[in-house]
Amino acid sequence: MRAPAPKTPPQRPTMQEPDEFDRLYRDHVDLIYRYAHRLCGEAESAKDLVQETFLNAYRGLKDFRGESQVSTWLYTIASRACIRMRRKRKGEPEHELSLDEFVPTSEGEFRLQIPMDGLSPEETLQNKELRQALDQAIEKLPQKYRMALVLRDMEGLSAKEVGTIMGVNERAVKSRLHRARLFVRRELSARGITHHDDHKSGGLRS
Amino acid sequence: MTKKKTAAPKKQSGPSSHRHTHGQGHCLDLLRQLSAYIDDELPSNICREVRRHLGACPNCEVFIASLQHIVTLCRHRPAPQLTSVDRVNMRRAILDAANAR
Repeated sequence: MRAPAPKTPPQRPTMQEPDEFDRLYRDHVDLIYRYAHRLCGEAESAKDLVQETFLNAYRGLKDFRGESQVSTWLYTIASRACIRMRRKRKGEPEHELSLDEFVPTSEGEFRLQIPMDGLSPEETLQNKELRQALDQAIEKLPQKYRMALVLRDMEGLSAKEVGTIMGVNERAVKSRLHRARLFVRRELSARGITHHDDHKSGGLRS
Repeated sequence: MTKKKTAAPKKQSGPSSHRHTHGQGHCLDLLRQLSAYIDDELPSNICREVRRHLGACPNCEVFIASLQHIVTLCRHRPAPQLTSVDRVNMRRAILDAANAR
């Protein structure tokens, strides 16, 4: 595991600012775990990613100049670590999503077969089948599209912030985000969700 | 962005379904701009054009509503949380790894 390209070689490889690191960890571990879980889709990989992120942050802490928000810096480290870890595991090239593949060709493809009429988003998401379908659709996205969707639509960052984190311009972020949304829409539309009354009987479990 | 061209469906629909043929070019232009429309990033004149098109094309209207639903669901999807035991264990593992070198 290596630190994210420090500008100057570290003077001492061991901890210099334990309090500073503890503060960083305490204030941001939940944020980074949430992001990691959304990227990885499951708990164990998410924990690995969190550890890798904070280890790199620990080593890079003294070089952090405060030019961006701490959260943006951590999101960037986590995103790079995720790309490295996934590449190591899968080794397959990313495929590009073309807009043409999302043009609906039959009547049924326009509508989402999701029971959400009259329900709030929270109530709609009580449907376990829907939650799983949504998560699986996001998991199926090629990584750079998933990252754009997670950072923008789930973490709620601006296109500019996402661009800083992913190292691309805003136009590229918006293009990736749009394709990612269309991909998830198509996955859910093709699948169709049956109606469950989970929201009447139980809470969110996963 | 891909070049503008007429629809080239990847899969064939069944004989009973029919293609979305209303103003094909307009619909494709719209498809490219839907997220910008949802995110309120389009200039007002383009926005007006989009709204006019949506009023005339039920399929596009249904489509954009479904895309908006996806964005809404993503925004409200809750994420699992760490337990305090996990927080403590991970902190220890990070510091052990950092001090191991």
